[in-house]
Amino acid sequence: MPPGGTAQLPLVRVSNTTARSPILTTEALTVRFGGLAALTNVSLRVPAGEIRGIIGPNGAGKSTFFNCLTGVLRPTSGRIMFNGEDISGLPPYTISRKAIARSYQITNLLPGATALENVRIASQSRHHNWSMLRHHRAYRDVIDRARAVLADVGLAGKEDELAVNLSHGEQRNLEIGIALATEPKLLCLDEPTAGMSVAETHATVDLIRQIARDLTILIVEHDMEVVMGLAHTITVLNYGEVLAEGRPAEIQANPRVQEVYLKT
Amino acid sequence: MTAMPAARPTPPATAYWIGFAVVVVLLIVAPLVLPPFWQRFATEILVWGLLAMSSDILIGYTGMVSFGHSAFFGLGMYGAATALLTVKPPSLGLALLYGLVAAGAAAVFVAYFATRLRDIYFAISTLVFSQIFYVIIFTWTEVTGGENGLTFSQPRLTIPGIWSDRFTPVTFHWFVLAVVVLSYLLVRRITQSPFGMVLQSIRENEPRTRAIGYHVERYKIVAVMLSGLFAGLSGVLYALQNKFAAPDFVFFVVSGEVVIFNVMGGMGTLVGPFAGAAFFLLLREGLSRFLTEYYLIPLGIIFIIMIIFLPQGLLGFLRRRLNT
Repeated sequence: MPPGGTAQLPLVRVSNTTARSPILTTEALTVRFGGLAALTNVSLRVPAGEIRGIIGPNGAGKSTFFNCLTGVLRPTSGRIMFNGEDISGLPPYTISRKAIARSYQITNLLPGATALENVRIASQSRHHNWSMLRHHRAYRDVIDRARAVLADVGLAGKEDELAVNLSHGEQRNLEIGIALATEPKLLCLDEPTAGMSVAETHATVDLIRQIARDLTILIVEHDMEVVMGLAHTITVLNYGEVLAEGRPAEIQANPRVQEVYLKT
Repeated sequence: MTAMPAARPTPPATAYWIGFAVVVVLLIVAPLVLPPFWQRFATEILVWGLLAMSSDILIGYTGMVSFGHSAFFGLGMYGAATALLTVKPPSLGLALLYGLVAAGAAAVFVAYFATRLRDIYFAISTLVFSQIFYVIIFTWTEVTGGENGLTFSQPRLTIPGIWSDRFTPVTFHWFVLAVVVLSYLLVRRITQSPFGMVLQSIRENEPRTRAIGYHVERYKIVAVMLSGLFAGLSGVLYALQNKFAAPDFVFFVVSGEVVIFNVMGGMGTLVGPFAGAAFFLLLREGLSRFLTEYYLIPLGIIFIIMIIFLPQGLLGFLRRRLNT
């Protein structure tokens, strides 16, 4: 994929059923904090173009899994392969440059900067990032890209609003926009609809469907309706282990999954 | 794309440049109308302001507090002294070059280690490094003159083949003013550049900046190096003005004053540190005339009152406007 290609250019539509070579594989991924096992032997294969839902009760290891993928945590053992390359234990900025992006569970913006600047700085990380002697506004390519991304996530017209002044739903979408602006191939969404109204949730689900045309998406979500509607495949984590994996209907019918969810 | 709506309408930018021109003109005229003592004082404010501005790159834009700027300032002084004492005839250009190289090298060295630490640990490690430089300079008498420092005579202002003359207090003031204005414009441009925006992103949210693909430590090292270079430049100017280099100026008290200039004047504005330096130095001058060595007591009280009632500093209210 050309690095200049942005989210709004639809590439070949990848059918989720064909067994493609996986874009992301984890092999026996294990994370221990002292004696506590946060993840144990988690092995996943995510084909390119898939929307993969990751669910599980609180403390099941979903965020730990994301933290490993994005380099915030170093796995105790096991491997993460992305695009045929071992990325386990690489620092976050390197992983970002390998085209893995993440949006956060807790909104994590530059609060005092405008919506445009939040996305612009992310877009700039791939272009002209060491330039010192020209005004940042002289780089129109970066600004145009940032504006296009903002429009994609439904924030056209909000460019000059400070991030702190945006509504909660808008901030969550801005989060997704920041991730998209780094031109990822794999996007990890950590509870993208948390705290949203019903209408906002619907809009965000549509947005995720739209961006999924060009990307592989991992999505951690507590709202079962959202995740069942979006994901092609769902992986259920419980106590840091893979409990079940399958299509949404299979997962809903799985007695072990039902047991875990009824218990909590 | 439709025409990009200007992020800010033009009037503030025009107002900014008018204000800038007025201040520069006042500073050009100042040495012609002031008595000799205040003439010298005005030059000194520019030099200390430049040092404070260099520190603002870190405090105001990157969110790192350096307590080690006395080291870069001092190495600028000693670098200039070395050039003026060893090369004949004494050359202004070489004094600048030696001072910048000495300060820049020290800054890279300090940055390489200190940027691995954050917040107070960064501040303390810069303090420790600057004290190491102080001890070396203070004790290595054969080279640095130890406690007495080094004295030398002022080089001539030379434009090769065209013109050469001794500095007078007035021409020296203009020389300092030119260096300071060019430095200010350069640093201002750097803070508005893509690189400068990364520094501000680090200040606002360091983990986020790392997550979107920036090697934060590398940016911090370059920021410290740039800051050290401008601090060194102010050290060279101070050495040229006073015709000496002395260990007192490597001592950490100078670093503390630099931070105070920033807090008083307004961090993250670049012009605030100049205002802070002017305010502090004038206040100290005025108070010490009446109170001799007790001037620090009212100065401290005024500083505390300012922090409570003017936490943004004298020019902090301009911050948003100055950074567009």
